Amino acid sequence: MMSRTVSIAQDPKANANGLLPSAAGMTRARDVDELCQQFIEVCQSAVDPMEISSALEFDGLSDQIARQRYGARDVFALADEMYRRVPRRPAEPPPSADPWKNSKLRAALHGLLYGLPTVCFPAAAGLLSGSHVLRALVVALLTSWALSQALAYLGYVRLGRAGSAAAARLLLVGMTVTVAGVALALAMAGLVAHARVTGLIFGFGLGAYMLGATVLLVLGAEGLLLVVLAPGVLGSAAFLLLGRPAGLEHAAWATLAATPLLALGLATVRACREAGIPGPRGLRDRLDRRGERGLGLLRRRSRLPGQPGPAADRLAVLSQLREALPSAGFGLVAAGLLVFPVAVGLPGHHGVNTGAVLASLPLALSMGMAEWSLIWFRRRTQRLLRNTQSLPAFTRRARVVLFGALAQYLMAAALLIAAVVSVASATRLVQPHWAVLPEVSAYLALGGAMFLALLLQAFGSRAFPLLACAVALALEILWRDLGVLGQIVACVELLVVLAGYATLTLGRAVRHAF
Amino acid sequence: MKIAMMTEGTYPYGFGGVSVWCDQIIRGMPGYDFQLVSIVATGAEPMVWSLPRNVSSLSTVLLWGSASASRAQGRRYALPRRLVGELIGTLLDSSAKAQARFAHVLYELWEFGQHGNISAGLASENAVRLLSEAWADRWPGAGHATPNMHDAVTAMQLLDHSLRPLAHPPVQADIAHAVTNGLGVLPALAAKWRYGTPIIVTEHGVYLREQYMQNTNGPYRWPVKALHLGFMRRLCALGYNEATTITPGNVYNRRWEERLGADPARIRTVYNGVDPANFPALDGEPETPTISWVGRIDPIKDLETLLRAFALVRQKMPAARLRMFGSPPRGRDSYLQRCQALAAELGIDKAATFEGRVANIRDAYDAGSIVALSSVSEGFPYSLIEAMTCGRACVATDVGGVTEAVGDTGLVVPPRSPEPMAEACLTLLQDDEMRHRLGAAARLRALENFTVDAAINTFDEIYSFLSRGRPLPVAVAAPTEPFAAVPSVIGSEEHDLLPWEGVR
Repeated sequence: MMSRTVSIAQDPKANANGLLPSAAGMTRARDVDELCQQFIEVCQSAVDPMEISSALEFDGLSDQIARQRYGARDVFALADEMYRRVPRRPAEPPPSADPWKNSKLRAALHGLLYGLPTVCFPAAAGLLSGSHVLRALVVALLTSWALSQALAYLGYVRLGRAGSAAAARLLLVGMTVTVAGVALALAMAGLVAHARVTGLIFGFGLGAYMLGATVLLVLGAEGLLLVVLAPGVLGSAAFLLLGRPAGLEHAAWATLAATPLLALGLATVRACREAGIPGPRGLRDRLDRRGERGLGLLRRRSRLPGQPGPAADRLAVLSQLREALPSAGFGLVAAGLLVFPVAVGLPGHHGVNTGAVLASLPLALSMGMAEWSLIWFRRRTQRLLRNTQSLPAFTRRARVVLFGALAQYLMAAALLIAAVVSVASATRLVQPHWAVLPEVSAYLALGGAMFLALLLQAFGSRAFPLLACAVALALEILWRDLGVLGQIVACVELLVVLAGYATLTLGRAVRHAF
Repeated sequence: MKIAMMTEGTYPYGFGGVSVWCDQIIRGMPGYDFQLVSIVATGAEPMVWSLPRNVSSLSTVLLWGSASASRAQGRRYALPRRLVGELIGTLLDSSAKAQARFAHVLYELWEFGQHGNISAGLASENAVRLLSEAWADRWPGAGHATPNMHDAVTAMQLLDHSLRPLAHPPVQADIAHAVTNGLGVLPALAAKWRYGTPIIVTEHGVYLREQYMQNTNGPYRWPVKALHLGFMRRLCALGYNEATTITPGNVYNRRWEERLGADPARIRTVYNGVDPANFPALDGEPETPTISWVGRIDPIKDLETLLRAFALVRQKMPAARLRMFGSPPRGRDSYLQRCQALAAELGIDKAATFEGRVANIRDAYDAGSIVALSSVSEGFPYSLIEAMTCGRACVATDVGGVTEAVGDTGLVVPPRSPEPMAEACLTLLQDDEMRHRLGAAARLRALENFTVDAAINTFDEIYSFLSRGRPLPVAVAAPTEPFAAVPSVIGSEEHDLLPWEGVR
C-alpha cells in the first residue's frame, strides 16, 4: 500500500543532517506534509489520531524515526499532527457484492422444479384409486412436508454457521432419519386405515422424493434435481400426451418409480462429496462416530474431566431440534391447507374438487414467483436502508415496497392459474367448469398468504405465520360443511391477517439487518 | 486456587502463538485449577487442543450465536431507553470525561444483564431510533459520510454482539486472567463486579491497534467504523483501568497501554518462553550456507522482502540456499503462490525452497546456518526465541518485541528493506567466528530470559500476590527491562476472530 515509506524506514538518519526540530518541538512541515500525502487515504478516513498511529507503525515507522525525521515526540504525536493537518473526507467503502445477484434465475428454476412433479399425479391416477389410497397419500404428504421443512431449516442454519461440509453431514443424517419417519408414519396409517400396498408405496416414494429434493436444494444442486425429475416427468408427460394408452401405463409407472430412487441416491452422493466423505465405507464410519454424539447437530467439543458431557450434548441436540419445530409445524399446516379441500372432496363435483386440482399446478409454479418476489423485496429494502436517514421514512417506504411485492406475486399467480386453466380446457385434459372460479380464487388467496408466510419466515418471524395458518386450517375444517365458501373465507382471512402483521413487522429497520 | 482464563478466538479453538502460550501456562502450573471462558464466533469451531487435566471447566461465549433462548426473559425486563441512550452518548462523545461515564454505563448494563436481556434491548427498533436521532443531531444536513439507516442498524448490531460476553454468567474464581484486552475483558469485568475478583490483562499484541488495522480498509462506512472503534477504544481503556496487573508480551506494547491511560506501576512485561528441553543446542551446521525461515506463510511475514534479500545474497554467494518452513493458513494460499512467482521471477526458485510444515520444528532450525525473520508485524515471536535457544544466530526485522528478544545476539534490520537484510545475512554467512559467537550468545540469552519456566514463575508470583488481595510490590512491578523500547509495528496477529467476521 505505502511502499514509499520503505525509504523512510531504511535509513532513519539520512535526513538527520538537515534541519533539526525547533526548540518548541514543532515538526518539520515539509516532511510531514509529504508523509500526509503518502497516508492521505488513511488520514482522510481516520476516526481518530490513533488510527493513523496504527497505520504508521504497521508500515514500520517507529518512535525513533518520528523523532529524527519528523521532529515529533513519538509516533502518537506525529499522528496527532497528521490528523490535524488533513481534513476528514472519508472514502466510501467499496460496494459489497450483491448476494442475490443470480438468485432470480434460481427462483424461476425453483418454480419449475416445484411445478414439474404435479405432472406425475394424473399419470399415476391408476395407482391412486380408492379412498384408502388418498388417506395414505395425505399422510405421506403431511409428514414429508413437515419433515422436509424442518430438515431444510436445520440444513440452512448449519450451512450459515459452519459451512457446506458440516451442513452436508447433518443433511445426510437428517435425510436418513426423516425418510425412516415417513416410512413409520405410512406403516401406522396402513395398519389403521388398511390402505392398499400400492398406495403406501406411492406415498413413500413421494416422501422420499421430497426429502431428497430438500437436501439437493439446500446444497444448491438444482441441476441434479432436474436430473432426478427428468425420467418421471418425461414419462408421465408422454403417457398423458399419448392419451393414456393402457399398454404403456406400467412403463409410465416405472419412470415414476425412478424419481424417489434418483432423489435419494443423488442426494447421498452430492452430500457425501460436500462432506468430504470418500465412499460408502467412509460414510458408514463417519455416521457411526456421529451417532455417538447424538445427531451430530452439536458443535464439536470434547468432554472435560468431571463434566457430564453426554447429557449436555443431548440438551444441545434437543434445543436445536426444538428450534426446528416451528418449521416442521408450518410445513404440516401448509400441507394441510393445500390438501384439505382436495382430500375432503368438496360437494358438487362428484367428490372431486376440480378447482383444487386445477389450481395446484399453477400454485406450485407460483412458488418460484414467490421466491422471486422475496428477493425483489429484499434487494429493494436493502437499498432503501442505505438511502434513508430517518426511521419513519424507512418504515413508510418499506411498507409500499411490501405491497408492491405482494401485488407482483398475486398478479403472476393469477396469470399462471389462468394460463393453466386455458391450456387444460384447450387440450381437453380436463373439462373446466367456470364454477371452479371460487375454488381457484380461494387458492389464489392461499398463494398470497403462503408468499407472506415465506417472507415473514425469511425475516425471522416464524411463530406468527404458523399460528395464523393453523387457525385458518382449523376454520376450514370447522366450516367444511359450508363448502367452498368456508375455504374462501378462511384463506382470505389468512391473507389479510398475514398482510397486516407483515406491515407491522417488516416496516421495522432491525428486521432488515444482515 | 482457581484461575478463570478468558480467551478470544484463540485457545483452545485456534492455532498460533497466543494459544501456545495459554497451553504452556496451564500445563506449567498444575497446582492451579483453570476455568476457561472462550469467546468464539458461532460455536461451530472445532477444538484443536486437548485440554490439560487441571482445566476444570470450559465455557464458550458465542458472539454470533442466536440469543433466542433468553428472548422471553427480555420482554419482562426491557432494557431502559435511558441506558441505551447513555451508551450511545458516551460513544459519540470524544471528551475526556466520557470515559468515566462509559465505565458507569457498562456497569449498569452488566447489572441489568443479571436479570434482563441486554441483547434484546440493543437489537431493538428503539435502539436504532436513538442512534439515528443522535447521529442526526451531530450530522446536520448532507455532507461526507452522512449516516443512513443501514449504518444505524449495522452499528447497533455490532454493539449488541460485542457486548454478548458481558451477559455471560460471572465465573467464580480467585483471579480473572484475560489473555487479551477488548471483548475478552468483559467476562473478567463481570467476575470483578460480581465477586470482586482481581483482573490480570495479558496482551501479546495490542488489541486496539489490531482493531484499527482491521477496520481501516472497510467494510463499514465511516459512521459505523467511528462508533465501533470508539467502543473498542473505551473498552480497552476500561480494561487497562480495571486490571490490577497488566502483562504485555514485550516492552514496546507498553507505549499503547500507557497512551490509553494504563498506570505504569501496574504494567509488568512478561516475555514468552520456550522449554529448553525441546530445543537443545544444535551441533554442526549444514554444509551449504543456508538461511532458514520458519512461520505461517502470510503477507504479515513479508516473505517477499526475504526473497529479494536472498536474491542479493546469491549475487555475492552463489552457493547459498534459502529454506522456508511452514504452510499458508487453510484456504488462503494465494500469498504462497505470489511468493513462488516472485522467486521464479528473481531466478532463485531452485535455491529458495518452500518446504511445508515439518514434524519437528527443531529440524527447521537445524537446516539453516542462520535463521531469518522478515515480518512487518510481530509481538514476541516464538520462532525467534526457539532459534536462539537452539543456538542459531538470527537476522530479524525491527518490529514489535524483536529487538528485546534478540538484543545484541543477532542482527536487527528495518522492515520492508531487502538491502540491509541481505547485507546482514551475508555478514553472518561469511563470518564463521561471528556467527558462532552470536549463536552461542543467543542461546545463553534465551536460557536466561526466555524460558517457559521464567514465564510460569512470574505468573505464579503474580497469582499468589493477587489472590492474597495484594497488588504486586512496586519493585516487582517495575523490573529492569532488558531493553528500552525502540521499534514499531502492530503486535501479534492472533485476533483473527472479530464480531464482524462472524457469519456473513
